[in-house]
Amino acid sequence: MDKKKEVIVLGIESSCDDTSAAVLRNQELLSNVIANQKVHENYGGVVPELASRAHQQNIIPVVDQAIKQAGITKDDIDVIAYTRGPGLLGSLLVGTSFTKGFSIANNIPMVDVNHLQGHVLAHFIREEGEPVEEPKFPFLCLLVSGGNSQLIVVKDHLEMKVIGQTIDDAAGEAFDKCAKVMGLPYPGGPLIDKLAKEGNPDAFQFSKPRIQNLDYSFSGLKTSFLYFLRDRIKENPDFIEENKADICASLQKTIIDILMNKLIKATKETGIKEITVAGGVSANSGLRNALQEEAKKRGWNLFIPKFAYTTDNAAMIGITGYFKFLNEEMSALEDVPFARMVIE
Amino acid sequence: MKFSVEISSIEEIEIAAKKFVECFTEPRVFAFYGKMGAGKTTFIKAVCEELGAQDYVTSPSFAIINEYTTTKVGEIYHFDFYRIKSLEEAFDLGYEDYFYSGKYSFIEWPEKIETLLPPNVVHVTVEELESGNRVITAN
Repeated sequence: MDKKKEVIVLGIESSCDDTSAAVLRNQELLSNVIANQKVHENYGGVVPELASRAHQQNIIPVVDQAIKQAGITKDDIDVIAYTRGPGLLGSLLVGTSFTKGFSIANNIPMVDVNHLQGHVLAHFIREEGEPVEEPKFPFLCLLVSGGNSQLIVVKDHLEMKVIGQTIDDAAGEAFDKCAKVMGLPYPGGPLIDKLAKEGNPDAFQFSKPRIQNLDYSFSGLKTSFLYFLRDRIKENPDFIEENKADICASLQKTIIDILMNKLIKATKETGIKEITVAGGVSANSGLRNALQEEAKKRGWNLFIPKFAYTTDNAAMIGITGYFKFLNEEMSALEDVPFARMVIE
Repeated sequence: MKFSVEISSIEEIEIAAKKFVECFTEPRVFAFYGKMGAGKTTFIKAVCEELGAQDYVTSPSFAIINEYTTTKVGEIYHFDFYRIKSLEEAFDLGYEDYFYSGKYSFIEWPEKIETLLPPNVVHVTVEELESGNRVITAN
C-alpha cells in the first residue's frame, strides 16, 4: 500500500445514544460533530424532534457537517472508521451500513473500531496550536462511564489488556441511581458533583465492596445508600433536604475511594506510573482532584482528557481508525457489528 | 403461582436461581417488576450464570441491552428499559428481533414497554419484605 504522508480519516460513532462523525488529518482533529438540533438546521430540510438513538435520521446530516467543518470534500477522505461494538445492535448497524456504503461508493478502505479502545486512545487526538501531551507506553487507563468501569493496561496503540472491571453496576450508574433515590433529575452525576462541593465528605459512611482482585462493584453501595436514606427518613422526613450537600459529598467520596483504591492497587501490581483516565465520569471534579493528589504523592504522570473526548464521540473512533489504518488492519464488507465486544 | 421463593441471604440467591431455571426450562421472555434496589439485576445475574453465561453479567441500565453467550442455551438477552422515553425508541432498538428470537430474554423496567411484551411473557416480581428478605414470584 502507498503510504502517504497525510491520511484523512472520517470517523463514525453510533454505538448507543448519540450519532457522531469526525474528520482527522493524521492525529490532528479537523472536526467532531455530534447530532443536535443545530446540525439538522444547518443541513437543511425537515428538522426532526431530536431523540436518542435516532441514528438513521442523524447520520447523513452529521457526516455532512463534519466534512464541511473540516474544510475538505468527501474525495479527500482516505479511510473511513466505524464503531463495530460494543453497543446496541440496532444503533451499530446504522453506522456500519453507512460506512460500507460510503466505502464502496468512494472506493476507500474501511476500518472497524472497538468503542472502548476508542475511549482509551482519545489521549492521542491532537488539536492545532495546542501542545502535544501523550502518555508513553505502557500506561494504565481508568475507563469510567455510565456503562463501563475498567482498568486497562495499554502496551501499544493497538495492544491492550483489561485487568479489572465492574461485576455489576458502572461507576457512572452508581452516581445516577443514587441521585435518583435522592429525587435528583437524570443524569444525576454532574449535580451530585456540584452539591458535593458544599458538603462534608466525612459526614456519612457507606459500604464499600470487599473484592480481592482488581474488579469493581457498585451495586452494594447503591443498596446501602438506599437503606441509609430509608432509615434516616423514618426518623426525619426532611433528612435529604436538610443534609443534601453532606449526603452528596459523602457518596461522591465513597465512589471515588472505590475507584482510586483499585487504581492504586493496579499501579503497584503493574509498576506502571503513566496514568490516564477516560470516559464520562472523568469529568467529575472530585475524581480529578483525587487523581491529581495521588499523582503528586506517588509520582504518577497523569493525563486527563478534554471533556469533549470523554463522552461518546467520533473523534476517538477516528484516531483509533488512523492507527489501525497505519497498521493495515482493514475491515471487510462481510464484517458485522457485535453488541458484546471486549478489549483483547 | 408457578414459582415462588423467599431469599434471606446472598448465598441463597444461587439456590433460588437454580430452582428458577428448573421451573422454566424453555426459553421465554421474562418481565421483572420491582423497585430500584430490590435485587432485579442481582437475581437475573444469578439466573444467567446458572444458564452458563460466559461473560460478566452486568447492569444494562446504560447500554439498554446486554447480550451474553452461554454454554447451555445459546445467547441470552438482558434488557433495562428504564431510559426509554417512547415506544418509538423500542421499535428503533429492534425489540421484535429479540423478543421473538426464541432465546431467553430478561427484562428490567418492562413497565416502559408494557404493550410490546409478547403474549406468553412470564411476569416475575421481586419484592423486599420488612425483614430485608426478598420474595421472588413468577406466574
